[in-house]
Amino acid sequence: MTTTLAPPAAPARRRGPTAARARHALGRVLATLARSAAIFVPVFLVATFVTFALRSLSGLSPARVQLGEDATPEAIHRVEAQWGLDRPFLVQYGHWFGGLLHGDLGTSWTNGADISTLIGLGLGVSLSVASLALVIGVLAGFVLGTTAALRQTTWVDRAITGFVTLISVMPAFVVGIVLVEAFAVGLHVFPSAGYVPMAQGLTPWLEHITLPALALSFDVVADVARQLRTSLVAAYRENYVTGAVVRGLSPQRIFLGHVLRNGLGPALATLGLKFPALVGASVVTEWVFGLQGFGRFANDSAQSGDVPAVQGVLVVSIVLVVVFNLLVNLVLARVTPASQRGV
Amino acid sequence: MLRRVLSLPAGRIAVAILTVVALLAVLGPVLAPHDPLATSARTLAPGSGTHPLGTDYLGRDVLSRLLAGSRVSVLGSLEVALTALVVGVVPGILSVYLGRAFEWVTLRVVDTLVALPFLLFAVAVIALLGNGITQAMLVTGVLVSPLFYRVSRAATLTVARSQYVEAALIAGASVGWVVRRHVWVKVLPPIAVALAQTIGVGFVIVSSLTFLGIGVQPPEPTWGGLLASDLGYLSYQPWAPVAPALLIMATVWACNLLADAIRDVSGEAGRALVAHRRLRAGRRGRTEPAPTGGAS
Repeated sequence: MTTTLAPPAAPARRRGPTAARARHALGRVLATLARSAAIFVPVFLVATFVTFALRSLSGLSPARVQLGEDATPEAIHRVEAQWGLDRPFLVQYGHWFGGLLHGDLGTSWTNGADISTLIGLGLGVSLSVASLALVIGVLAGFVLGTTAALRQTTWVDRAITGFVTLISVMPAFVVGIVLVEAFAVGLHVFPSAGYVPMAQGLTPWLEHITLPALALSFDVVADVARQLRTSLVAAYRENYVTGAVVRGLSPQRIFLGHVLRNGLGPALATLGLKFPALVGASVVTEWVFGLQGFGRFANDSAQSGDVPAVQGVLVVSIVLVVVFNLLVNLVLARVTPASQRGV
Repeated sequence: MLRRVLSLPAGRIAVAILTVVALLAVLGPVLAPHDPLATSARTLAPGSGTHPLGTDYLGRDVLSRLLAGSRVSVLGSLEVALTALVVGVVPGILSVYLGRAFEWVTLRVVDTLVALPFLLFAVAVIALLGNGITQAMLVTGVLVSPLFYRVSRAATLTVARSQYVEAALIAGASVGWVVRRHVWVKVLPPIAVALAQTIGVGFVIVSSLTFLGIGVQPPEPTWGGLLASDLGYLSYQPWAPVAPALLIMATVWACNLLADAIRDVSGEAGRALVAHRRLRAGRRGRTEPAPTGGAS
């Protein structure tokens, strides 16, 4: 940039490598964000619209919930007007969506409480469990997947593959029952139900969320391990690995620098696909372990016909999925830049 | 196709298990030794001659409830899979041929569906749209249809760009003829794989929903419901969840096994793969559908 005599590219890059690289990385993050936003904004609009249309489709009314089955038509009409349900559909949607953007999800039909607050209370529980489940799932899946790939076609590989197949066919509630049976009823190691916030101490908090997180993590472990094993085995067959062996690079360096980096992408992408299933499975695990979390709130409000609460739950779950996918995409862009091309 | 699937040990095991489960669904209520709804004074009894799997907390025969409950699970998972098949495959193939606008719209719809946690949505929809398992299964089917969309679209794209299809079009063949004659054959194997997988997923969903007590009326026996009622009596009957849990797991496993077997034997390399599959390290690997421009 400064000298005209020097060959253009190489010295310029050598002169300001950190600044250029930082700018480059920032640009890539922004590009990923922009591309993801272009996909997720329409997704969000469509999903919220479908969610909102649920009330009209269901034919449920706050009057039914509050006044019971034998309410007079006038009373029903009065309550519906009070909730603004006599206005045109699109006006209602606009009003609801406007509130949504301000974090206001309306009030519950059953007890008139603020839905955002209720969901916020449940999310603390659910996100603790889900984060721990993800940590367990990624760590265990990583260890199992890489071990199987490094010891491929030996008995270690077969044992791991068998174990992974076994846990992949166990639905979350079956795992939950097995864990309750083994650790809570049998060994009395962990409490079988309930939740203690982190503020009351780290150990009781961990004790209460370990079993639900384990139950939730099995699916993640299976998927990460399986995907990682496949892509690592495929990466080891590539010519550049042969080339690296020929050049005399150490096995550790080949694994960390070449194989792992190329094999990690699909496993990470699976993680993004797995998250909605994790949110869904929390409905079941929270039921098994008696946690008053997000999933339990979803189940309870759906069963009592509390439409605004259900809508709030669905919107929050969509936001969670979208944000999580965004994070996965950012990490993916960092680890395997090639994954950003041609998508 | 079936004969080639049966040539693999895994395929034989899978077909055997699924046949048994299908027979249970058809004959289950007839085979049940007792009335699955009849209560008795012998509550929480261990297994015996009259009650091979014991009785539950109301004294109902567990084996009879298990047999009578198989129909709900099997029908439910088939409903999920067939709905997903119809909803996913048709737009998947058409997205290649009906122009960019249709393609864009269907891709965005698929992105949306993938972002919805389907168990949560199924719970919400059943509760709001009436307490019936069928509605829930139809909705779940729509929510898992992206798999079929992607699979059939990816297969169609490969065929549509191949030279023999180009040659057929140049020779004057209509698009409809090409789809019927060439595309359909290539799309079928991946769809069969997806179908087997989706039936397994449907099984997990039906069991989860019935476990939560959603979609069925209380006295009606279901596999998930059996597990749910066992949960309250674990300290009295620690062995009670074993039978329903094993049934659910074996069925899901058989579906996955069948999907793997179909994948192994389909395609040009199928036969060679059958012979060499023991030597191949990556045989259990799941090949992700080709990226077709999704969010994930």
